[in-house]
Amino acid sequence: MNTTNDLLARYLQAIGDHLPAATRDDVLAELRANLQAQLDDRSEELNRPLTDPEVAAILKQHGRPILVAARYLPQQSLIGPAIFPYYLMTLRKAAPFAIIIIFLANCSNILFIHTLPELIAGLLRVLGQLVPDLLIFAAWVTAAFAIAEYVYAHHDAKPFGLSWDPTKLPAVKPQFKGKSRASRIADLIFHCAWMVYVLEIPAHPYLILGPGELYLHMLNARPAPVWHLFYAAVLFLLFFQLVTKITAVFVPAGLWQTPLNFATKVLSVLFSAWLALTNVYFVPTGPATNLKFLADVNHWINVSFRIFLIFVILDLIVEGWKLRPSFQAKRLVF
Amino acid sequence: MDANSNSPEPQIEIQIESQIFDSLRLELRRGCLILAVLAQLRAEHYGYTLRKALADQGLAIEESTLYPLLRRLETQGLLTSQWREEDKRNKRFYKLSLAGETILAQLLAEWNSINDSVNNILHHSDQRQS
Repeated sequence: MNTTNDLLARYLQAIGDHLPAATRDDVLAELRANLQAQLDDRSEELNRPLTDPEVAAILKQHGRPILVAARYLPQQSLIGPAIFPYYLMTLRKAAPFAIIIIFLANCSNILFIHTLPELIAGLLRVLGQLVPDLLIFAAWVTAAFAIAEYVYAHHDAKPFGLSWDPTKLPAVKPQFKGKSRASRIADLIFHCAWMVYVLEIPAHPYLILGPGELYLHMLNARPAPVWHLFYAAVLFLLFFQLVTKITAVFVPAGLWQTPLNFATKVLSVLFSAWLALTNVYFVPTGPATNLKFLADVNHWINVSFRIFLIFVILDLIVEGWKLRPSFQAKRLVF
Repeated sequence: MDANSNSPEPQIEIQIESQIFDSLRLELRRGCLILAVLAQLRAEHYGYTLRKALADQGLAIEESTLYPLLRRLETQGLLTSQWREEDKRNKRFYKLSLAGETILAQLLAEWNSINDSVNNILHHSDQRQS
């Protein structure tokens, strides 16, 4: 075999490696005839046999074997352009629900942790687990749509998106213009009233404990010192909000308000985490206290705060999601 | 010497413009190539001579595009093919089928209609500008 035939045979063999057995021989025979004719033509032009580099140059110009073979295969996408918009919409609509469900399911493991380092490690584990779990969720959605694409492409299915009615489209959403001045003033008044209520709690504990205050007397217990610190922290948060609400009356809502609201939510999460990490909420007032019962009360209050913490973290994630830069779908070339 | 002569920004802009042009040109040519191949195959050709015939008339097509296209058009029933010996070599000759002739006539009508419309648009646009 001369070198021209050798190079051509090797090239065709490399293409054949990527072709289905059913059509391989036929395609290769046709390619051989075409390429051979091209080589002969070039040889006639030069009036001499082609050198190896000249043959190699013609084969190189014809294309890399794997890509040449790919052009003979049926053109199919994993998810084609007819179905892709529905795939993208499903992912975007379902992702927040998937995050919430995965987060809540994973949080059950950290409800009964007692030490701060373990709780922090547990929370980090839960957040870290979100990424692989979301990837698995995306993989399932992708697989479902790939099957839909296969059925659509192979069974002459009715084209997507033909049966729709313009009269059934949702009504135009009203444009968000922000709160009116009257509404912002009312907001400030309600906040002041709420602050007065909170400031009165130390003098009148029944405002927050209700009939529970009598129950505490019967149990011979009183609030633990942690509440004093927590109360101070809540007052700080309320004053912080008061400043933002007074500002909002004079300066209409703008870009500054969104990060401030988010910062308030972060502070709420930190305070909730603080309460969730505290183990003692009520302490005995004397020897007559039923200590075992009081320990049970403290334990279940602690569990309640941990559940509450999960929800405020979720709320924070949702707010963070809303703040993400708006996703501009780029035109996809198929 | 121009202070900006070494700036890579104009080069990048030219490169992006060239990419956009190549992409649009590819889209524009795709349909026209099928039309040209069908029209050229009113006379029988095998792959290599078809490519040469098209190139001689100013429509160069890459081999890796043309040869698979011939098989696709045959699968769609627009072409017929047969293996035959020529110059002591077996070659696969393609020719327009009856169905291919009908489709070619329809495509040519469509192409002429588009061509007329674009020319009209350009003509009116030129008139408005002048």
